[in-house]
Amino acid sequence: MPDIKVVDVYKRFGRIVALDGVNLHVRDGEYVCIIGPSGSGKSTLLKIIAGIIQPDRGDVFFDDVRVTDLPLEERGIGMVMQDILLFPHMNLWDNVTFSPLTRGYNREIIVNIGNEVMNLLKIRADKKAYPSELSRGEQQMIALARALASRPRVLLLDEPLASLDAHAARALRYELRRMVKELGLTAIHVTHNQEEALSIADRVVVMRKGKIEQVGTPLELYLMPKTPFVSRFIGGEANFLEGHVAQKYGNKAVIELRNGTRLCTYTHLPQGSHVLVAVRPEHIVLMKKTKEIHGENMLEGTIEDKNFLGACIRYVVKTKEGSLIVRMRRGVISFRIGEDVALRLDKVVIFEYPKEGLLKAIAYE
Amino acid sequence: MLRRSFLHNVLLALGAISLLTVLVFLPSFYLLTFIFTRWDEIYNEIFAHPLIGDTYWKEIGRYLSLSLRLALTTILIDLIIGVPLAYLLSRGSFPGKSLLEDLTMLPLVIPTSGFGFATMLAWTASYGLPAILGFDIKVDTLVPMVNVPLLMLIIHVALTFPYVVKTVCGALRDIGKSYEIIASSLGSKPITTFRKITMPLIVPSLLSGLVLAFARSLGETGATMIVAGVSTTAPIAVVKWEFENKLAPAAFLGALLVGISLAIIVPIEYLASSSRRARRLIPLGVEVLLVRWERKAPGRLRLFRDIISLLSIALLVLLPIAVLAYNAMIYWRQDPYTGRMEGGILYQLYGPARYIDVIAKSMMTSLIVSSLATLISTYVAMISIPVIARSGYGRLLRIMLKVPLVIPTSALGLAMILLWGPRGLGLVPPGLWLIVLTHVVFSVPVIVETGLASYFETNLPLYEDTARSLGATPYDVMETITIPMIRRGIIAGSLLAFTHSLGETGATFIVMGDHTTVSTLIVNLVESLAIPASIFASLVLILTSIVFIVIIRHLIE
Repeated sequence: MPDIKVVDVYKRFGRIVALDGVNLHVRDGEYVCIIGPSGSGKSTLLKIIAGIIQPDRGDVFFDDVRVTDLPLEERGIGMVMQDILLFPHMNLWDNVTFSPLTRGYNREIIVNIGNEVMNLLKIRADKKAYPSELSRGEQQMIALARALASRPRVLLLDEPLASLDAHAARALRYELRRMVKELGLTAIHVTHNQEEALSIADRVVVMRKGKIEQVGTPLELYLMPKTPFVSRFIGGEANFLEGHVAQKYGNKAVIELRNGTRLCTYTHLPQGSHVLVAVRPEHIVLMKKTKEIHGENMLEGTIEDKNFLGACIRYVVKTKEGSLIVRMRRGVISFRIGEDVALRLDKVVIFEYPKEGLLKAIAYE
Repeated sequence: MLRRSFLHNVLLALGAISLLTVLVFLPSFYLLTFIFTRWDEIYNEIFAHPLIGDTYWKEIGRYLSLSLRLALTTILIDLIIGVPLAYLLSRGSFPGKSLLEDLTMLPLVIPTSGFGFATMLAWTASYGLPAILGFDIKVDTLVPMVNVPLLMLIIHVALTFPYVVKTVCGALRDIGKSYEIIASSLGSKPITTFRKITMPLIVPSLLSGLVLAFARSLGETGATMIVAGVSTTAPIAVVKWEFENKLAPAAFLGALLVGISLAIIVPIEYLASSSRRARRLIPLGVEVLLVRWERKAPGRLRLFRDIISLLSIALLVLLPIAVLAYNAMIYWRQDPYTGRMEGGILYQLYGPARYIDVIAKSMMTSLIVSSLATLISTYVAMISIPVIARSGYGRLLRIMLKVPLVIPTSALGLAMILLWGPRGLGLVPPGLWLIVLTHVVFSVPVIVETGLASYFETNLPLYEDTARSLGATPYDVMETITIPMIRRGIIAGSLLAFTHSLGETGATFIVMGDHTTVSTLIVNLVESLAIPASIFASLVLILTSIVFIVIIRHLIE
């Protein structure tokens, strides 16, 4: 329901800067995922929005009302955490109705709210069962029900699926989004799993070293990463090549890689700039090598390694510009290790070459 | 290879178990069996004495009644001041927190007789706190309703509340803040959260803390003797009868004390380790009203909690030590009231009475006893820890090791003398060695507990298995992996045991024969009204222990 603004928030723990001037606007009814490597400050940001920790500087607004000093219990948030944290000494029903009870509602209202959320989430487990008798997935479902029973305006999810097994996590992932949209909540979901974030979020926030690296829709992040870090973090693997802008015609440019391969693409960088070229493994096409390699953005190479990934196959191809990782749909065409191939780079992203060096620019820490 | 290591294991286990049995378990159980083997004697003395009939039985009833009332009142107050203090220590963050923590644990390690004397001074002396506040406390001032001597109650609370604080603090730290955060995110007020979430989760630990406190209060001898006046508690009666050579009533009462302690501890330990499920005790309708009342309750409770905590530490721990130090100052040269030099500490120490010699000698005895006892106990504990940690019957051993921690010390002393002394096996006469053996009984469990804690903390079984897989024999594993890794835990435990031993009074009194340790000396000095000398000896003893506490703290950090 509300629109959440985080304005210029700083937080440090001792000598570690956890948040370094973070600004974020989450719109009413939006499902936003915050992703980033561990230690990037994503959980700290969530805790500041929740009111569990106080920022050193900066403010949090819900619907333009400053809530920075409002205690946790008055913010109207629902929280679901990685550790689930169902009250172990209470049965399911008492867990779910904890919030209406402690808000001092009447008996009938408490029972109604309890039944309502149990129905909403289609929970069929025995109400008298204790948390330890359920699977992790079921427990997290109850924890979600408990949070929803507090009639929250905002749902804050801190790695809610990280402690579940892959199957339960995938099932609950879509359920979460469905629920949030159905109830019209604003949800902020912290995760380190980029696939999870891309598949359910309206917008994704990528954080790194206490700063927001990029905010955008999943598609924007995937196709137009603003930094080398984002291009590697989204998707998990990326190929990086070094080169310079050889020629420029308006926005069109020819990039010459270190060992002479020329790529036609677009960039706003001026002629002569030192650039970093990022290519996703799935944006490289492998072909049988014919006698002559011609055409734009073509390279030749030899298959060095091959891994089976289910729907696709991952190849490592040795070329004169270095080893490239290629991911291809299985079934169309297949190559043997040692086979000579031609590669076509379909989509490349050009960055100004990072001053701190490639490794530092894409490092998780 | 396999058979050799199997043999090693069996030998180690057998060695550990037999050492534990002979040195630690045997005495307490011997006292219990004593009742059955000598039942005729006991019956004729206690229930049907030809001259005095069942006088002893009536006396036993009276003493036990006082001890039980005292122990129950004590744990009630422990509960009231212990829980808020534990909450403050585990949840709060403020400057001086670790100092406050040390102060809380102080009564567990400082010598009870010295501390008892300091408490008596603080609460009864004409310049003590009550006098300043305008009311009068004497050793025979009774608490209304329960009719226990006030001074005794104060000292028992001071000596037992750390047990409650320690266990509850541990539990609060274990469960962490997460449940509380979730509860407040669900809209619960702090007081409701405490009642419905935190409290039920810490109940098992609270219970075991209270049981420890109860047993400790039931068995407290050293400090109680000093503030007893005309009242006699059960442990004091055991000492008294033993001195009067009335063995039958002493043994019977001692066995009753052991029995009561066990009867309370075993079921509650069992309860504490069983499920954490709370039944709804309050009907929903009432609960709703209660919650509404809690929502209106003022947010000042935090302040209330802090005040209770700080006040209890100040009154129970700081005040006695401060008053003792102050007294040492004003009594240094002369009696401050009469001005007579004979009433000063210096005169008593170096005058014709030459108390300095007595104090120095008993200090020497104390140090020898404590060192020997700690050394032997550390050795036994080091052998036992791997056995307890890794074998199936380890849990049973661990529960049995709680027994020496809770049996009344005077009963323990009696058991030792009955078992080893001239009337029993006749192997060890009362004196230095019997004191050492007695102290070993309660030192081993202390060291084993801290050692086990660091054993599991460091995830040692994993490293041990790794070493075994690399071909090390069990003995090599113990020497190169186990002991080095739990060294700090063992050293801390040993120092704790050392301070316990230094301050032990009740059991020592019974088994010491002609030797005197400094903590028993203080009781004697107080009883012979050599107040300045007692002040000096108490202060020396307390300061020594504080030095040890600082060292322990340093080692644990």
